[in-house]
Amino acid sequence: MSTVMKTTRDVRGVGLSIPRPDGPEKVTGHVQYVADIKLKGLLHAKLLRSPHAHARIVSIDVSRARALPGVRAVLTAADIPELKRKAPTRAHAVLAIDRVVFSGQPVAAVAADELAIAEEALDLIDVKYEVLPASVDPLQSLKPGAPPVADAGTEADASEALAHSAVAMAKSDDAPPKAVNVTQTANVKRGDVAKGFAESDVIVEKTYRVPMVHQGYLEPHAVLAEWDTTGQLTLWASTQGSFNTRAEVADVLGLEENRIKVIPVECGGGFGGKIRALCEPITALLARATRRPVRYVMTRREELEAGMPAPQVIIRLKTGAKRDGTLMALEAETVLESGAFSGTVLAVSSVFLGSLYKWPAFDIKGSEVLTHKPSVAAYRAPVAPQTIFAIDSQMEQMARALGVDSTDFRARHLSRPGDPMVNNQPWASNGAFEVLEKAAAHPMWKKRAEWKASGGNGHGLRGTGIALGGWLGGLQPTSATVKLNTDGTLAVLTGQVDIAGTNISLAQIAASAYGVDIEKVKITTGDTDVAPMTGLSAGSKTIYTVGVAVMQAAQDARRQTLEIAAGELEAAMQDLEIVDGRVVVRGMPDKGVTLASIGKKGNLYMSKVPPVIGVGHPAFTQQAPAFAAQLARIEVDPDTGEVKIHDFVIVQDVGHAINPLACEGQMQGGAVQSLGIALTEILDYDD
Amino acid sequence: MPKQILSFTVNDEPVETLVQPYVTLLDALREDLGLTGPKEGCGTGDCGACTVHVDGQPVASCLMLAMQARGRSVRTIEGLAHAGVLHPLQDAFVRLGVPQCGFCIPGVLMAAAAVLAEHPRPTEEDIRYGIAGNLCRCTGYTKMVAAITEAAGSLT
Repeated sequence: MSTVMKTTRDVRGVGLSIPRPDGPEKVTGHVQYVADIKLKGLLHAKLLRSPHAHARIVSIDVSRARALPGVRAVLTAADIPELKRKAPTRAHAVLAIDRVVFSGQPVAAVAADELAIAEEALDLIDVKYEVLPASVDPLQSLKPGAPPVADAGTEADASEALAHSAVAMAKSDDAPPKAVNVTQTANVKRGDVAKGFAESDVIVEKTYRVPMVHQGYLEPHAVLAEWDTTGQLTLWASTQGSFNTRAEVADVLGLEENRIKVIPVECGGGFGGKIRALCEPITALLARATRRPVRYVMTRREELEAGMPAPQVIIRLKTGAKRDGTLMALEAETVLESGAFSGTVLAVSSVFLGSLYKWPAFDIKGSEVLTHKPSVAAYRAPVAPQTIFAIDSQMEQMARALGVDSTDFRARHLSRPGDPMVNNQPWASNGAFEVLEKAAAHPMWKKRAEWKASGGNGHGLRGTGIALGGWLGGLQPTSATVKLNTDGTLAVLTGQVDIAGTNISLAQIAASAYGVDIEKVKITTGDTDVAPMTGLSAGSKTIYTVGVAVMQAAQDARRQTLEIAAGELEAAMQDLEIVDGRVVVRGMPDKGVTLASIGKKGNLYMSKVPPVIGVGHPAFTQQAPAFAAQLARIEVDPDTGEVKIHDFVIVQDVGHAINPLACEGQMQGGAVQSLGIALTEILDYDD
Repeated sequence: MPKQILSFTVNDEPVETLVQPYVTLLDALREDLGLTGPKEGCGTGDCGACTVHVDGQPVASCLMLAMQARGRSVRTIEGLAHAGVLHPLQDAFVRLGVPQCGFCIPGVLMAAAAVLAEHPRPTEEDIRYGIAGNLCRCTGYTKMVAAITEAAGSLT
């Protein structure tokens, strides 16, 4: 027996680098993703997609496709009474009704015995289109007279903003959009911007564009749908949030949530692109029409043409400062290209542009513009990376124009906790200043002059870059339960989709909060029928919110356990502690009861001891902004423009690292994806 | 089209199955033989998630017809562990916390196993070149290279 006394403070739990317990399943190929699941009688779905960015559907003839042997159903909009015009979201636009608004939009759906038959059936569907002029460039699309994307009267979609609990705009001077494709506008102001510029010695005006890029998760969207004879729908989905998926599907299909079970199957990457429902409704409708289980898996080409990529963001910034570096004014104009459906989080852009640094005067305008392209979603946070790129680059440009050190310049003007954001809410506690300071002190930054001087002479041009960015942190209510098993082990239940390895961290929190070693804790991600309501795996908030739910549930279970033990030991609860799987009286290690005996009594016939089940169901008001500073040591070939990254440093404020191993993986992966956006990736469209 | 008989060896076991002549090796493994470890990430040979070994060589099984594997020996991720013991690569991937979403991992491991077969003491460049055909969007590859390096050390 161990001589080390264990308390809640020194169990094997929070702070340890523990490999995720499902690792062996993942490295042996045994983990099942949606496309790996086979049900008896399974049918395969394919969607016929529009080849045109904008066209009127003159006619659809599916008769030849329906006649093909092995085809079990062919659906068009005419077969789906739930479909309505003016679809407020992409999910509601299950199939195009009489007009297609982006290339790749589904027009008809087929379910067949084999995938090859479904593919063949697509070739037999005859759609006649009248091609219409398309709005492809957001700067053209926002002008009056541009070809309209949405049906007149379609409402803007702010549900993504709600899903992320991004900062609400307390004071937004919204003018009604005039241009037909401008679906949301925002304008926040403070102070006298014209006076600020008039008194500035240095004014820098630049436009920053970040292209539309795809999240590129390796697993394409996939869903499997089955109805039982009582009208219960089960969806096996690749989603970042099973409860959100259930709510969206229920809304689109007009079903009660009680009739839908969403099983969050292992999700092969999301990065923000699998938050909103996409192909779940049509797959469910095919399953209903055929009374068979139907599986739909998008191809990579379909993903790139008709996924939900990150928006193109165009930001014009004009900033002014005094010769001594005093900031005077910021003027900003943001255009978010939302594709064919509204749904970007416009407020995030305004908040970051105006709040990161202390501007005495600002005037920030933003518009969401529709184009004839697939609708967009988050990618490592909605609109934040793109906006941060613009304002951080602008600060770099300002420092250069003033001839001052750019890290000093950032640090001097950086908003600190308590400073007002553009919506006048105070900045929450954050590590922006600290990560910037750390990066500036790193040898790679200190030795940037030597690195620069080593360029040329057979090498390319060499330089070192620094950037500072962050995210406000999402919020979403969530819940968890912790049960004591009859052998003294713990069962933690949430609905949390574990993409990145969050479950091990949650289990560590449960272990520490209850007072047992991590080996005694099993955590399960339940489906929407069995799991308590759980938020999205998105918004950089899983541990911050679900972790709290698990912690509270474990504390609740601990309290119940101690209460039962107190009765048995005839001791006061506050004198008890949990040591090595036993509740003991502090200082009297021989006087105790095992957790197993308490657990057993919760399931013993005729027992008067209730089962231990802790519940945590917090809601949140306080965001936890997360900041990172990064250094890149690069070399540019002056002839080809090729950029080679020689070294890269990430300094990130992760808060208290519950599982450092998992934190490192997150930081490395996020940095490499951002390099992809910066250097190599684009979803490019011509006219 | 009439189905054809495909006889080959899969993970050291002789296998005989009926496949359509147009079916890829990936689909035959996944749909007919139930070996869903190899993944389809792109279907065009770009992402490497479908990597298996054919006669010891790594191939994108989404680009190879099943009938081309006739008489040959195929190894999938399901055949990398031996007698219930993880291959040193698999063990290192778990311990170093490589898998996040995990979708690319079967393909990366098969590519890595091929690297180690060719270079028992691989340089970092050997490793990076060997897995250059495998896309991963979660990890940034850093831990992968570390894990493969560590596994190479334990193999020698």
